[in-house]
Amino acid sequence: MRALSWLYMAVAYLFIFLPVAVLVAFSFQAGRLPVPPFQGFSLRWYEKVLGDRDLMAALGHSFLVAVVSSALALCLGFLAAHALARVRLPGSVLMRGLLIAPMTVSYLIIALGLLTVFGSLGIRLSLWTVGAGHVVINLPLCFAICYAAMGDQQRSAERAARDLGAAEWQVLAYVSAPMLAAPLAAAFFLSVTFSWDEFIIAFLLTRFDVTLPVEIWSMLRSGLSPATNAVGSLVFLVSVTLVVALEMLVFRRAK
Amino acid sequence: MTLERQERRLGWGLVAPALVWTGAFFALPFLAMVALSFAHMEGRTVVRGFDAGNYVRAFTDWTMVKALVNSLEITLIVTAVSVLLAYPLAAIIAFRVPARWQRLALLMAVLPFWTSYVVRSYAWLLVLGQKGVVNTTLLALGLIAEPLQMASTRFATVTGFVHFFVMLLTLTIYANLIQLSPNYLRAAADLGAGRWQVFRHVVLPLTLPGVVTGAFLTFVLCIGDYITPQILGGNTELTLPQLIMLQMGRSGNFPLASALSVVLMGIVTLAYLASARWVRLDRV
Amino acid sequence: MTPRQMLPATAFGLIVMAVPSFAQELNALVWCDHTDPALVAPFEEKFGVKVNVKEYEGTAAGLAILDQSQPGDWDVMVIDAVDVGRAVEAGRLAEIPADALPTGDFFPELVMPENNVVGGKTYAVTEKFGYNTISYDKTKVDPADMEDMAVLTGGKYDGRIGIYDYYLPVLGLVALGQGMKTADINADTLPKLKEPLMALRKASKQVSDVVSSQTALATGEVDIVVGGGEWLTAVLAADNPNLDWTIPKQGGLRWAQSIGVVAGTTQPDLALEFVKYIVSPEGQARLATASCYWGMPANAKAGDVLTPEQKTVLRWDQQPEFLKRSQLYPIPDAATDTAMQDMWTEMLNQ
Repeated sequence: MRALSWLYMAVAYLFIFLPVAVLVAFSFQAGRLPVPPFQGFSLRWYEKVLGDRDLMAALGHSFLVAVVSSALALCLGFLAAHALARVRLPGSVLMRGLLIAPMTVSYLIIALGLLTVFGSLGIRLSLWTVGAGHVVINLPLCFAICYAAMGDQQRSAERAARDLGAAEWQVLAYVSAPMLAAPLAAAFFLSVTFSWDEFIIAFLLTRFDVTLPVEIWSMLRSGLSPATNAVGSLVFLVSVTLVVALEMLVFRRAK
Repeated sequence: MTLERQERRLGWGLVAPALVWTGAFFALPFLAMVALSFAHMEGRTVVRGFDAGNYVRAFTDWTMVKALVNSLEITLIVTAVSVLLAYPLAAIIAFRVPARWQRLALLMAVLPFWTSYVVRSYAWLLVLGQKGVVNTTLLALGLIAEPLQMASTRFATVTGFVHFFVMLLTLTIYANLIQLSPNYLRAAADLGAGRWQVFRHVVLPLTLPGVVTGAFLTFVLCIGDYITPQILGGNTELTLPQLIMLQMGRSGNFPLASALSVVLMGIVTLAYLASARWVRLDRV
Repeated sequence: MTPRQMLPATAFGLIVMAVPSFAQELNALVWCDHTDPALVAPFEEKFGVKVNVKEYEGTAAGLAILDQSQPGDWDVMVIDAVDVGRAVEAGRLAEIPADALPTGDFFPELVMPENNVVGGKTYAVTEKFGYNTISYDKTKVDPADMEDMAVLTGGKYDGRIGIYDYYLPVLGLVALGQGMKTADINADTLPKLKEPLMALRKASKQVSDVVSSQTALATGEVDIVVGGGEWLTAVLAADNPNLDWTIPKQGGLRWAQSIGVVAGTTQPDLALEFVKYIVSPEGQARLATASCYWGMPANAKAGDVLTPEQKTVLRWDQQPEFLKRSQLYPIPDAATDTAMQDMWTEMLNQ
């Protein structure tokens, strides 16, 4: 039974890592196609990718959209969670439902809806429209995480601060937010991940300035190439470094 | 009293921005889409009105029905297979792996999550292709004589999906398993329950809400996904999102695309109602 | 206005005028060959502008993008030559001065006034053409078989065929296979094509876009691509000399793409300059060998710029015969077009 467990785990990890291993291995392919046989080791695809103007621009756009939309989603989600967890408001169940609702809707539908509205209002598609869409998908997440994290401990601290004459924004900024630092950070980085990786909203709501997944998609459409492997490997390397760093710094300390 | 009113006003002020955003960029566009789904095309122009023709077509036109069936089949297979594969993995990590290594084991299990989403499907294409790693290996080992046809099939689509959702579900199921108090398990064992009985009567019921929540998320994400079937399926069959994108991207038929989206939304709602007893979205 | 007031006003005016020209951009709705930086960069450098390109698939989708845009959002557009009339009818293309275009240097069959000129006004100009026929790997199939379209569905090549994912040329080819002229495809005759199309689908392994089809042929996923042609194999000629294409005895389809200025553009002069650049011998040579797919330039003068090797790959010298044996794309009306697309979607989901 025990041996079987380890075997299962080994097979499962093999399955999980197989595509990544293949992806990374063939990014060093010297030949023109990222399939066996391996024709020798080469860094030329990395060179090509790092010198690609459009790709680097897309990288910058993705970063910008991810950080700005996540920050906004976190602010809105945090404030709403604070209000609904602390103040008795009529219809609060309904409001919570509405705020969570986008989580259950496919991104494709959100994108199509936004496209319809932007189109009929004559709003030009840009990174801003993508950002707006990404706030929609990340707001429920941020709200849910913040709402779940608001406990009684914070409540007493907040009340104490208020009794000492702090204004509400001071309570939020100096008491609630620092006490919830870990969940807030978790919500922010999860949002950044989702936005960073999101394809369909970014695909349908951009025009010329595109995000990284959309740029990778058009690379893909121009055929199998080890260059696509190289981009994927680079993204993987950077994200994993970030994840491990966060794991060590933020979450470990928070425990 | 004034204090309470003041507090209420403050509460409204804090919740308003989020509500306005969700209303303006989610609820309103959704309603606009629903309205558009009742329009129809005359030549290339959208004629607004109340016309259920698009819905009639969605449920009678064989191409559309087939896409719907394909989507449902793929999604159900993916959900079932992913849960069945992820549960043992999560359990092994939670119960077999020493506590100090568990976080690492878990991190490793979800590490490929951090490759780009589009790239992950592409990587599977490389693995499963005619000249891909699997075929090359099997041929070299002499296990097969002809390369297996795996890319551009439903098998490839399902594999790509399962890969992603096994990672997601391992994470959510682990989070549930780890919350089980060891005392329950010990108590059950002390009362003479066998391994299977402990699992069947203690562990499974206690983790069911987490599993169903994870399965529901899998269902929602899977049925609405365009990329995986588009890259791995090779256009040999269409799923609902692919059909929606075709109507939009090629035919420019936005009313029909909207109607199909509403149908997709309807399916997700039904799935939610079916699993609502257990799903706790605010506890994901 | 006193002189003193005029000074800042003039300065302001100068700034306003100077700023847009500094950051001038040309927005182009194009096919994937125009996204090649080697094609666009010389124009950008010469005029000090940035060319933004957005790809689209299929005329209906292109027109839908224009429908959802504001006037001035787009400056130039690449479109199927046979669909220029539809775009003009929808009011999407602006007239361009015929005397600015070097159509005198074109292959005569490619001037295509019956498509590019509507009501005596020129709205677009042909820029590139080629054939949708049968591409294959000559080491894996019998080249003699490829001269007859009926062999494809005869069972011999089941599971080794890829279909190019574009309904117009492939339905056109299927029509030719049935002895029907592409010009005769309409709502009444279309149903006759359904059975042969489904038979072709049954014999094939995948239906894929330009590049996936190239890749599939190059990696041996498929041995034959229906709807292929020089545009499919030329890019790969250097890597895989075994790839070939032919026009079977039933005939082949000729594709042609045109470029025009989008109605409502705020910079018609720059847009026209771009069109002129594309049809100039240099632009034509770069377009002919652009990275997404190769194709014959409409302007015969490009032959002076292309290398002999490039001309061999393009089969420059065989064009007179090819032009004679090929027919134009079907030109469906809106209803037929929808019916064709629906049949295509049904085929995809077979």
